[in-house]
Amino acid sequence: MLRYAINSTFVKLLRKLSKLTGGYMCKKMVLLMFLLVSFMLCPMYVFAAKAGSAENNKLCLQCHSDKTLTKKLLNKEILSLYIDGGQFAASVHGKISCSGCHIDINMDNHPQSKRIASRRDYALSVSRNCSICHTEAQLNQRQPIHKALAEKGPCIECHGSHYIRPTAINKAGVQENAYCLTCHRNKISMRMKNGETLSVYVDENAFNLSVHAKLQCKDCHAEFSKTQHPVRTFNSRRAYTIAASDLCGKCHKEAAKLYETSVHIEQLKGGNEKAPTCIDCHGDHSVVSTKKDKTIGIVSCNKCHSEMNASYEASMHGKARIKGDEKAPSCASCHNAHNVESAKMTTKIKDGCLRCHKDAAKVHSRWLYNPPVKLSTFSIAHFDAVSCAACHSPGAKRGIYLTPYNRKTGKPLSEDEIMKTLGLESDGLMKKFDSNSNGSIEPKELWNIFAELFKKGEMITFMGNMDVQKATEAHMIGSKAEGVKDCDKCHKPDAELFQNVFVVIKKSDGKPLIIPASKEILNSVYAILPMSKFYVLGSTSIKLLDIIFIIALIGGIAVPIGHISFRIITSPIRALRRMGKGGKK
Amino acid sequence: MTRIFLHPIPIRIWHWVNALAFIILILTGAQIKLGNAIHFFSFHTAVKIHSWLGWILVFNYFIWVIYYFSTGNIKIYIPPLNRPVEYAKKALRQAKFYGWGIMVGDENPHHSTFENKFNPMQQVSYLMIMVALIPLQLITGMLLWDPKLFEPIVNIAGGLQIVDLIHVFLWIFFSAFIIVHFYLATLGHTPMAHIIAMFTGYEELHDDHGHGHGHGEEHGHEKEHQDSHGHGESHSH
Repeated sequence: MLRYAINSTFVKLLRKLSKLTGGYMCKKMVLLMFLLVSFMLCPMYVFAAKAGSAENNKLCLQCHSDKTLTKKLLNKEILSLYIDGGQFAASVHGKISCSGCHIDINMDNHPQSKRIASRRDYALSVSRNCSICHTEAQLNQRQPIHKALAEKGPCIECHGSHYIRPTAINKAGVQENAYCLTCHRNKISMRMKNGETLSVYVDENAFNLSVHAKLQCKDCHAEFSKTQHPVRTFNSRRAYTIAASDLCGKCHKEAAKLYETSVHIEQLKGGNEKAPTCIDCHGDHSVVSTKKDKTIGIVSCNKCHSEMNASYEASMHGKARIKGDEKAPSCASCHNAHNVESAKMTTKIKDGCLRCHKDAAKVHSRWLYNPPVKLSTFSIAHFDAVSCAACHSPGAKRGIYLTPYNRKTGKPLSEDEIMKTLGLESDGLMKKFDSNSNGSIEPKELWNIFAELFKKGEMITFMGNMDVQKATEAHMIGSKAEGVKDCDKCHKPDAELFQNVFVVIKKSDGKPLIIPASKEILNSVYAILPMSKFYVLGSTSIKLLDIIFIIALIGGIAVPIGHISFRIITSPIRALRRMGKGGKK
Repeated sequence: MTRIFLHPIPIRIWHWVNALAFIILILTGAQIKLGNAIHFFSFHTAVKIHSWLGWILVFNYFIWVIYYFSTGNIKIYIPPLNRPVEYAKKALRQAKFYGWGIMVGDENPHHSTFENKFNPMQQVSYLMIMVALIPLQLITGMLLWDPKLFEPIVNIAGGLQIVDLIHVFLWIFFSAFIIVHFYLATLGHTPMAHIIAMFTGYEELHDDHGHGHGHGEEHGHEKEHQDSHGHGESHSH
């Protein structure tokens, strides 16, 4: 701007020079000379501009020192045009004349009726003039973070406008958070490697209302401070969020430890980037105490599992919550907050139920008992194999889920582990389980897997449990009266609730691989060893034994019938003998 | 007619409690296992009865244990291991008797006395039943009764399915056994002789030498026995 003013004066001067030389110097030469002289003399003119600025600025401040001087913008915002002359003079630009930056304003055209859309629009427009002196190359070299900014906002948003102070003084004078917010309270964003942009704006108000309001930015963002601001690059917005969630574990060690055992981290490690991290549930700078926010255990889950919400709201639990009972269970109450469990892969969900229903075992023992006593262990034996929802979600479709466990360690075997032991390719497990490709695991196929793993030194056992088939139905917990109480529903050959059988294996991404199985699997001799730990009275008994029982009964009856028949047939012999003996007598 | 004392009161109580419990346990067991084919009781009732009787059988078993071990009479169950050949011959003779001799009116080679109640075949089978099969049935029954309470033992056994397998095999065995046992009980000198003896304690012996089957018959005069344990007395008629 300054150079522009100086240069335009020089152009006039050189034109006169050209005339004086009688047109001897052509236009190109004039231009070349202008550039040369302009370059050589620029600092001198800056100095000259500075020297003259005080006088010029006084002229501007005649009006702009009026605190009431404002301009109404097109969006109805009011822009204050007041300048504190003293503060400006003390700023880093105090020696520069107003027109040095406001190059479009001079005494010929000012005050003029300029149409300005908004404050931000105006800020963007005047910020462009900063680059006359502060070139992009220079900025990137001095503070590389400028380069990382995806969309550069108005310079004045971060640096201020008329009262810019030297950086060192600025840093010394403000607190850590305020210093960070100097830039981050603005709508700035950074660019990701995949072309996405990530807003690095921090909502100051939300942060101040958050549970972390008393923390310093660097408490979490340890790499950053007033003195250092590394430039980091991330593949994507998601990669940034995942990395940022690691920061939470610095303080929240217990929660981080629990999260490490969750189905979410398993999915994350398995390559599913959509799996939630701390930030996805708790938010980032606006993080609220879970003691205050009782909805976090529902709202955050619904971000991904929204299809579960309707059935939850229809449940006893959901209804109670809607009525205002804050203690009514949320998702986290059963599935855990951090060590989130999938119902398909564990029987631990019931622990969540039992946290509230502490006396569940005792209550069930009133009718679910083993005479002549009423031991709670008997109901616990049921709890071990039957999910709470299987009995308490009226109308839900139930299934029997068989999960392979390592017999020695007692831990469930994952798809990867089985494939590794069997030396299978990535998609080979399904083929291995369902070798005849009929879409269902037959008893012989189950045996083959068991036998093959046994040969490779892996002793497995299929543990079974009953659960509802659709997760949405699992949440539709009904009233106590609606619970299944009829023993025959399970404890009977071909029982109603034993019609659908599945083998379920944990995949590397934490999700379950569910393979349908033939219901005959429960009653086959082939299942005796592979499923030796899964036994349900009446419904998992081995059918061959029924046949043996009938044969034994027939045999037992045949012995006396046969013997009596022979005795009848041989009775004449005995009669003869008696007669003979009698005769002798 | 001679009466010979065979069954002291604790054994008679034990036997009939055992018999009744066995029959009902077999039936309720069948109901539990074959619920779609049999409809004697509801599953719930069957389990209740089965559990109650199972425990009664456990306590009843101890009557047998306490009686036989405290009196030393357990020896009647122990085959003479020092004379195996002789014992085998006796067993074979007994088998021949049941298979053929009884048909042609041969004399029962075994004559029961209080000290030698069982013939060799009975001796070996009752020994197996009393010291192995019934305890095994009771233990597996207890494990199935509360698998959580006995979880460590269930795990040692290899799992509840294995425990059930043993329990069911024994159920099958006992179901067939009890039929044969009842039939054999009618093979006294009269069909009711052994059965009445199991109630009264006394087996009546007839001096009818021509009536060739039944324990102890024809040698009743030799077996007249004064009960050394004071449980009863012999009567000559």
